[in-house]
Amino acid sequence: MKQLFRQLTLMVLTCGIITAAQATTPEEDLKAFQNFYKKRFPNVEYTDYVNGAYAIDPVGRENWEAIEEFPPYEPFIDEGQAMWEKPFANGKGFKDCFPDGPALGSKYPSWDKEKGMVMTLPLALNNCLEANGEKPLKYKKGPINDILSYIAFESRGQITNVEIPSDDPRALEAYEAGKKFYYTRRGQLNFACAHCHLQNAGMILRTEILSPALGHTTHFPVYRSKWGTVGTLHRRFTGCNKQVRAKPFKAHGEEYRNLEYFLTYMSNGLPMNGPGARK
Amino acid sequence: MQKKSVLISSLLAWMISSSLATMAVADEVSAEKVKKLIDAADDARKQAASVGGEWRDTSKMIKKAKGLLEKGDFVAAAKLANKAAKQGHLGYEQAMSQKELKMPSYIHYE
Repeated sequence: MKQLFRQLTLMVLTCGIITAAQATTPEEDLKAFQNFYKKRFPNVEYTDYVNGAYAIDPVGRENWEAIEEFPPYEPFIDEGQAMWEKPFANGKGFKDCFPDGPALGSKYPSWDKEKGMVMTLPLALNNCLEANGEKPLKYKKGPINDILSYIAFESRGQITNVEIPSDDPRALEAYEAGKKFYYTRRGQLNFACAHCHLQNAGMILRTEILSPALGHTTHFPVYRSKWGTVGTLHRRFTGCNKQVRAKPFKAHGEEYRNLEYFLTYMSNGLPMNGPGARK
Repeated sequence: MQKKSVLISSLLAWMISSSLATMAVADEVSAEKVKKLIDAADDARKQAASVGGEWRDTSKMIKKAKGLLEKGDFVAAAKLANKAAKQGHLGYEQAMSQKELKMPSYIHYE
């Protein structure tokens, strides 16, 4: 009986330790995330993670640097600047919605206390358009990438600094939901985001080197040679989910917004360097 | 001789008409059965979707099965519907098994 009681006590204590280990703060998550990569790629400079797979793939990096000499995303930046400056039908423009100017990359994603949700930059841009009687832009392809390219270019050098306000517990809930998404297995291939970009970062999948998750959000939107155009972060989320044979979620729907919140938080401290060019 | 040919013709006619009737009944039964299988697959897909666990190709399979049913290819339609139903069930089970956050052991909190 005594032995049984001792075993039960031990079990309860063990469960307590596991629960305590799981209830981590975002700061602890960030530290653990960064430490994982420090151990995995000890020779990679922290800020070099903004370059994705090219931080760990010297051959791919040579090709990428050659591409960057004549950046394929440049025309998109020019188009975006024209969009930023062109007034809407009512005479107002993006400048009126975002009076601090186009360098607003590091302000998003952010917690919108009033709406009780994560606000992403594309969502804020569309809110601005709709508030001024304009048609919202599609979230994955098309002109949204022009304006995002311009904003990303103007925001280069800003430091990723996602905040999770402590005065609204819903913000932490959204972060936790994004974190849960990141570590959840899904699709026919039964993969979580973390399987490719954390556990197996640096490994070769078919012909590609799996990029580290650290710095994933700093360089979007991205010109992908595969796409032949610039695409948004949520388009990439969609593609990743499809690759594991899961049905993707709606771009800028709750799931992907929360995922962006978590993933961008994991890049806190890294400089923004969008738009980027990738294979 | 004439009597014999009439008899053979009648027998042949009976054989053809009865086999046609049997085929029609079989078709009706199969179509109904396949439709039920497709509906069951769609229910399984919806159940998986309700917990965010729908797989990429399930709805495509169901759509394809419906097309095959319309074309009268009941065997292929039933096979595909069953496959889609299995995906729906597995997607739901997968999502339920992932209900709690499971942090991987290679992430170390110090």
